Amino acid sequence: MNAPDVATTSAPPRQGQAGSSPAVELVGVTKRFDDVIAVDNVNLRINDGEFFSLLGPSGCGKTTTLRMIAGLEFPTHGSIRIHDEQMSLRPPNKRPVNTVFQSYALFPHMSVRDNIAFGLQMKKVDRHTIGSRVTEAVQLVRLGGMEHRRPKQLSGGQQQRVALARALVNHPQVLLLDEPLGALDLKLRKAMQLELKELQERVGITFVYVTHDQEEALTMSDRIGVMDDGRLLQVGTPEEIYERPATRMVADFIGETNFLPIVVTELDRARIEGGQEIIIGGDGTPGTKTTLTIRPEKMRITAPREPVPEGDNQLLGTLHRRVYLGNALALEVTAGAVRLRVRQGSAAQVHRFRDGDEVAVLWSPADAAVLED
Amino acid sequence: MSAPTAPPTLVPKLEDGTGEELEHAATRADSRRGALLALPGFAYLFLFFALPLGIVFVYSFATRSSTGRTILGQWSVDSYTRLIDPFVLQIAWRSFALAAAATALCLLVGYPFAYYIATRSPRVRGLLLVMVMIPFWSNFLVRTYAWRVILGSDGPVSRLTELVGIGQTRLMFTSTAVMIGLVYGYLPFMILPLYASIERLDFSLVEAGRDLYASGWEAFRRITWPLSRAGVIAGSILVFIPSFGAYVTPEILGGSRTTMLGSFIVRQFLAARDWPFGSSLSFVVMIAMLVAALVYFRVGGKTL
Repeated sequence: MNAPDVATTSAPPRQGQAGSSPAVELVGVTKRFDDVIAVDNVNLRINDGEFFSLLGPSGCGKTTTLRMIAGLEFPTHGSIRIHDEQMSLRPPNKRPVNTVFQSYALFPHMSVRDNIAFGLQMKKVDRHTIGSRVTEAVQLVRLGGMEHRRPKQLSGGQQQRVALARALVNHPQVLLLDEPLGALDLKLRKAMQLELKELQERVGITFVYVTHDQEEALTMSDRIGVMDDGRLLQVGTPEEIYERPATRMVADFIGETNFLPIVVTELDRARIEGGQEIIIGGDGTPGTKTTLTIRPEKMRITAPREPVPEGDNQLLGTLHRRVYLGNALALEVTAGAVRLRVRQGSAAQVHRFRDGDEVAVLWSPADAAVLED
Repeated sequence: MSAPTAPPTLVPKLEDGTGEELEHAATRADSRRGALLALPGFAYLFLFFALPLGIVFVYSFATRSSTGRTILGQWSVDSYTRLIDPFVLQIAWRSFALAAAATALCLLVGYPFAYYIATRSPRVRGLLLVMVMIPFWSNFLVRTYAWRVILGSDGPVSRLTELVGIGQTRLMFTSTAVMIGLVYGYLPFMILPLYASIERLDFSLVEAGRDLYASGWEAFRRITWPLSRAGVIAGSILVFIPSFGAYVTPEILGGSRTTMLGSFIVRQFLAARDWPFGSSLSFVVMIAMLVAALVYFRVGGKTL
């Protein structure tokens, strides 16, 4: 076990200071394949040193966006800048970015060492420097002793590290990662998530990470951009994306949630369609029909006659179903026309309710979000 | 008188024994079945390949009577010592050079074409592959004779050069004509294995190379080419071997100064009635090809 002392591994200095130019800037970027619009007018600024995730279901255009930043696709319209340098039509070999591919794309006919050295060789870096930088990269991803193996002789996790080292050894300004953990099993994936995040903080390189796994994005990212159908729907920190989703799709894609159709009646009041009046956070425009979203774990279940804390909303309904989840309890409550999904820690007070019982569902207006669409 | 009762473990032991026996029986049956399946092939190859080859080997040590009869029983290595005759070596060298040049030309023409096919949509791919194989549907002899018309002094090639002003061309009966014929005849054998290996290539590897600062050319040199080498090796062997021993093409398109080994061997058996010499020649050529192919595979395989 000669794991290198991680702390002593020299890392390139964090590039740029706060307020410097964005690492990546997309302005009105559109990509059309024949009749299909894969990416539709995306505007995005990714800050220097940031761990940014592009999140969305498959076919949403996130990979195409990444490939355009890498130069493997060219945008139909719009411009791509990296540190204020125009990139849109520049070939991939002339861009200061490197990619970790989904299937790793390791060169099967080269050793681990030759794989990692490839980029530096192409850049015509002198042999001595290549030697020391490859050794450094091998230690960074803890692959010491594997240098002479072929990719096929490595496990999935090890191949993943080679792909990382092969990109990082070039000290790119931006590292692009296309679902790099997709091929790993769940346990290894969890471990690699933390390791990747740690690595990113250590090397200080901007990471642009493409994933369809919302949990992965929430765990690792500084900011997330949610994409669907070629469009960028919302950009924000994991908290913002989760707590205050802008659209129904974002709320639905990130975790479980409830949707209540409402009509705004006052600045902070709304009426559930065909139901009672509730308090909403924020500033609604009276008269608009919209949707309120509340996460199941943000709601509480009490007995109907229990006092309601000042400012909270209360909906009366019937307990419909309870599912025991081990660390939590999932409940379904029918309140008028709406069915609410509520999640509670297995507190004893919830256990006293039986299916068919009259219950009250409580939530604080601050925990619910009014959707834009 | 206290006979101990047999332990009940006897039953599983018995089962173990039968299990092992069954396994052996299954293995035996399996190899028997395998042998049976291969039998027709073995029989055919033995009767019509190994046995005649043995006869050729025996004949190569026989002597030729003055009337051209082969005398078995008077064994000698004369027909082998005659192989180093400069005339024979010249023909061998010419065969080698023509076959090597035809192979190189096939590779040069075939690689880009195979790459083109492999990168088309599946439907276009199928169509192009059929087009590559269409020539096989007509007789090789007829197709080679067609080249006589094309390359002849009043053929289209000659007329075209005359029109351009370089005068008539005399391609027929030259080594150029033989080479054109060889490339034409064996190009599909180069294209098909090349196509197979390029089609299998994971193009995300090329993208990875480009992403790692390789220019288009460097990406080809460092990634596409080495990863399609299996096809290059297979194609080269499939073109070189039949070209080296070609008979029909040099016979029809070549002249007396472009004799290749195939024609020379045939001449020993027919015109010269020198079976021992023809036999030794055949045998040595075959061994040389075998060794060359093995070395080629070994070297190519190592760098793969």
